[in-house]
Amino acid sequence: MVVAGRRKSIAFFIALGIGLISVIILLYVGWVLFDWRSGILLFLGVLLLAVIISGVVLNTIFLVREIRRNEQHNAFINAVTHELKTPVASIRLYLETLQTRAVDETKRKEFYDIMLDESDRLLGTIEQVLRTGRVGGASRKLSLAPINLGSVVEECLARARTLYHVPPESIAYLPGPEVTVMGDPDEVRAAVSNLIDNAVKYSESDVKVTVETAKVDGKYVSVRVRDQGVGIPQGELKQIFKRFYRVPGQLATRVKGIGLGLYIVRSVAKRHGGRAWAESEGLGRGSTFVLQLPIIK
Amino acid sequence: MNSVLVVEDERHLAEGLRFNLEAEGYQVHLAETGEAALELLSGESPAFDVVLLDVMLPGKDGFSVMSELRQSGNFIPTLMLTARGRPEDVLRGFAAGADDYLTKPFELAILIARIQGLLRRREWLRTSLNHEAPNHGAAPQANQVTPPPEPKGTFTFGEKGEKSVHFDLLELRVRGQKFPLTLMEANVLRYLIQHEGAPVSRKAMLEEVWGLHEDTDTRAIDNFIVRLRRYIEDDPTRPRHLVTVRGVGYRFVASPANRPERTVRGGQV
Repeated sequence: MVVAGRRKSIAFFIALGIGLISVIILLYVGWVLFDWRSGILLFLGVLLLAVIISGVVLNTIFLVREIRRNEQHNAFINAVTHELKTPVASIRLYLETLQTRAVDETKRKEFYDIMLDESDRLLGTIEQVLRTGRVGGASRKLSLAPINLGSVVEECLARARTLYHVPPESIAYLPGPEVTVMGDPDEVRAAVSNLIDNAVKYSESDVKVTVETAKVDGKYVSVRVRDQGVGIPQGELKQIFKRFYRVPGQLATRVKGIGLGLYIVRSVAKRHGGRAWAESEGLGRGSTFVLQLPIIK
Repeated sequence: MNSVLVVEDERHLAEGLRFNLEAEGYQVHLAETGEAALELLSGESPAFDVVLLDVMLPGKDGFSVMSELRQSGNFIPTLMLTARGRPEDVLRGFAAGADDYLTKPFELAILIARIQGLLRRREWLRTSLNHEAPNHGAAPQANQVTPPPEPKGTFTFGEKGEKSVHFDLLELRVRGQKFPLTLMEANVLRYLIQHEGAPVSRKAMLEEVWGLHEDTDTRAIDNFIVRLRRYIEDDPTRPRHLVTVRGVGYRFVASPANRPERTVRGGQV
């Protein structure tokens, strides 16, 4: 798949690499032919060579990184295409059905519900993409307000229960002491929602999610979202917070997603002076995500 | 009653398709994964008449399901249905062995018409087999300007007539050995045979055979040619029937011995 901009960036690194190697060869030839007696030149030559070699090493690192980014970018484009077009296809199919066929009242109602679900899903994807743009740019200012974290969490839980049609006991809430944080309500809500969405999505059929809030050192409040789902391999615990990143393998095709949720969570945490991380004992053993935010005293 | 296997992991879409296809009088079965579909299709009795196959499936994706199915010798009419609508994706679907390809979002009426088209073609095939009346099998060709070698049921070629394409059976026979063709492979071959001796551009093939009108990497057609050469040519690396016309496309030569060698480069012959 061709993503022109990315390809160009790889071409730049390759050209730089070739350029640096040809400088090494030129210098070496020059050294052998001309000035092998002069001490200063020897020193300069060694220095230059060291600079060039480190340049080549750095260049290789950047090249590899750029290639990886390229692949992730392609996977992201595919996932977004899928996530945008599938709900539209569904909505369109049901609208055409309603338009062209005799549909009884119960079916009609069922179709309306499906179309609403699908338009929510579409809106969710659009919001996620737009929010990534907003939280990614450091320039955009937060519209800060005191937030009651408990009520934000409850709001997100209610939303998730309706969205995923799960009974209230499947997503339990263990509230800690009442705390107020200073933050952008919209962003904090998005971060908490993303954590709960992930917990439900990656639990697959057996949803048992616990959300807990607690004070940490009197300075912070943490929101811990624990699930009994698919778990995360040790090596991926940090990677998953990167933009576009999805754990490779079967799971990425089984559970739909575009690889932006956790990036948003971490960006929101950073912008509020907090942090976010993941804990898991490995594949199949569930995982816990923690969002930590500073509280107002 | 014709039965359709819908392989789609998006539940809402699958249910919507089921509702509509049942309203059209089809019997509908749903499969959520590629593995489940392959299992359903591997049964001895031909339980389905047509398959609707999504590409982005959990586990095995649609492309691999398609090619596994064809490799195992199952040539059930298949329509691929996917959100990935770029020409290279469409061509990849055809290369895997799909008979037709539709991108999401689609129009319901078109989807149903395409399914009917696939079933109709299969019926033609059956009747022509029963009545030995081969001329029903021809694909709807937009361009029928060169009547002389119009390939109908069977087209025989090679220096001693040792090779033949049976369009109705979707089969190629080379010295007694049989090679099954997909509908698209047969259509590509038919198009080239219709223009026997003349160079055919990749773009023309893309437009006439696939009905694609976008500017695209027309090299994707080359995969089809590579496969056809493997069947037809004695030495696929030095093709004599499916000759490359540099900078243009391909040319079909029925009987290479009667033609001067290496008239390949010019373009017009």
